[in-house]
Amino acid sequence: MLEITAVRKNYKIGNDIVKAVNNAGFKVEKGDSIMIFGHSGSGKTTLLSIIGGLTRPDSGTVKYGDTDLWSLSDNELSEFRNRRINFIFQFSSLIPTLTVLENILLPTAFNKSGDRNRNFDAKDLLTMVGLKDKFNAYPSQLSGGQQRRAAIARSFINNPEIILADEPTGDLDEETEAEMLALCKSMNVDKGITFIIVTHNTDIAKQCNKHFVMNRGILTPKAMG
Amino acid sequence: MSFNLSALAYKNIRRKFFRSMAIAAAVMVVAATLFSVTTVMDSVETSLARGTKRLGADVMVVPAASESKAMASLLAGEPSTYYMDRGIEEKIRKIEGVKKVAGQLYLKTATYKCCSTGDMFIVGFEPDNDFTITPWLSESLKKPIAPREAILGRSIPAYTTGSSFQVFGKVITIIGLLEATGMQFIDNALYMPIDSFKGMVETSDNGTFNIFDRINNEISAILVQTDPEYAPRRVAIFIESRIEGVKAIVSEDVTASVRKQLFTLLKSILSITVILWIMSVLLISVVFSMIVNERQRELGLLRALGAKKRDIFKLIIAEAAVLSMAGGLIGVSLGGLFLYLFRGQVKAALNVPYMWPQPLNLVLLVLICLCASLLTGTLAALYPALKSMRMEPYAAIRGGE
Repeated sequence: MLEITAVRKNYKIGNDIVKAVNNAGFKVEKGDSIMIFGHSGSGKTTLLSIIGGLTRPDSGTVKYGDTDLWSLSDNELSEFRNRRINFIFQFSSLIPTLTVLENILLPTAFNKSGDRNRNFDAKDLLTMVGLKDKFNAYPSQLSGGQQRRAAIARSFINNPEIILADEPTGDLDEETEAEMLALCKSMNVDKGITFIIVTHNTDIAKQCNKHFVMNRGILTPKAMG
Repeated sequence: MSFNLSALAYKNIRRKFFRSMAIAAAVMVVAATLFSVTTVMDSVETSLARGTKRLGADVMVVPAASESKAMASLLAGEPSTYYMDRGIEEKIRKIEGVKKVAGQLYLKTATYKCCSTGDMFIVGFEPDNDFTITPWLSESLKKPIAPREAILGRSIPAYTTGSSFQVFGKVITIIGLLEATGMQFIDNALYMPIDSFKGMVETSDNGTFNIFDRINNEISAILVQTDPEYAPRRVAIFIESRIEGVKAIVSEDVTASVRKQLFTLLKSILSITVILWIMSVLLISVVFSMIVNERQRELGLLRALGAKKRDIFKLIIAEAAVLSMAGGLIGVSLGGLFLYLFRGQVKAALNVPYMWPQPLNLVLLVLICLCASLLTGTLAALYPALKSMRMEPYAAIRGGE
């Protein structure tokens, strides 16, 4: 379903050129759960943002089926993200002026195509992540872990084909982390949602079927023992 | 269940309430000033146009020595009396380009309780020749005006049709009211036929009026309506060249002179308003740049979730538009309230004909000021909105770190 080929992305810092992503490539099948390890600054997040259509690579292709992501116009790219991809960011990604329920519904604001029926029910999702009594709470009234759970719930709202997660369980305690991983696993298995996860967490690694390591922009497959 | 961007714009406005209010206040000041100045300009313009039309004459002939007095009467409404030989009326009637002629006799009453209700400017007119007074009655007269009957200007309070009061010790009944013009000379006068007016003075119990002997064969002003084929200015030159000792004042020149003087002042104020407007646009632009910088990560997040560039643009412009409209509405209301509450002071300060604009003009002015307000905010937010919509989503998200 997804093929990343020879993707490169350089940044210029002063007079130096930093190779954030250097000739990365791999294939993803529907229902895969892929994990990318790597130190801070190794280029994992940049690669994830290229796959998610957030930053343009210097070269290489990202193909979803027959669609070359980076050949799309900006509007088409926005629509593509809205319908087929979703994100879990490593920062608190809730809009502070919106309630938890409104934050979950945010992607629906950009879907004007009328295929909203495929969306999940926002209240059901919040109930699934244990925030049933927080529909009308504002992010400032939630703990860091609760905010992360709300962000995970939002990533499912548009029933995406693929979720790109950057340290998705970073702020969660062990118990909640296990619950969230179980939820992601069930979405992966039952709904066929593909996950590409950037993390240091070995518990997540155990639940993924493909593993990669990223080091100084170079992506290599990693066998899990 | 879904969500729309308008709700986000609304909530963003509420997020930093005082900052939002400051933006609205900046627009409000501009809108209030702009509305006040343009309304006053329109009022004066309307009033001058109406007053000139209302004067009914293209040319007003007065004694040459009394030109400044006549101008003061026309512009500031200062009651003035001056006289010239009544025979001039017939001479003017024969001049080329003159279509109609109507003489008027001006008199001031004394403020003595014994014989007059108050200080009043009285205009004696010739009902048979008149083309300047009776056409402007708010209701037509049902019968010819009789002795001891009068028509009253609109600005004299407390009297209506049918009421009566004393002039030169005689009871006068008001049989008609003139439409308001804003020109105090017209609005503040009492109008009576010259014959009955003279008769009253002659039979007055108070024999001390020193004008008694003068007014029988004298007249104050002669109002001239010119033939449409002749320019009033040309006819005025004919009159002055053929009759000695008179000044032919062209109505258009009077209003043009006032317009020039006043509009120079108002244009200066308008220039200050424009400077104020430019400063507001710059100020709001800086504030919106700050807002956009603060929300950089949020805007990147919205893009990641599927917002198009135009959604980001619309979101920022919508916030600016709502705040500008709110500021504009409050500003126009405050401007209108100021003009209403201080209408007396405005009139006195300008010392020119002044009346409220016509309702249609007023609506138009409100709309223009609201559009200008809307433009203030949207123009100010344009650059920050364009900048943020062009930002790459990942760069925006990273920029907020």
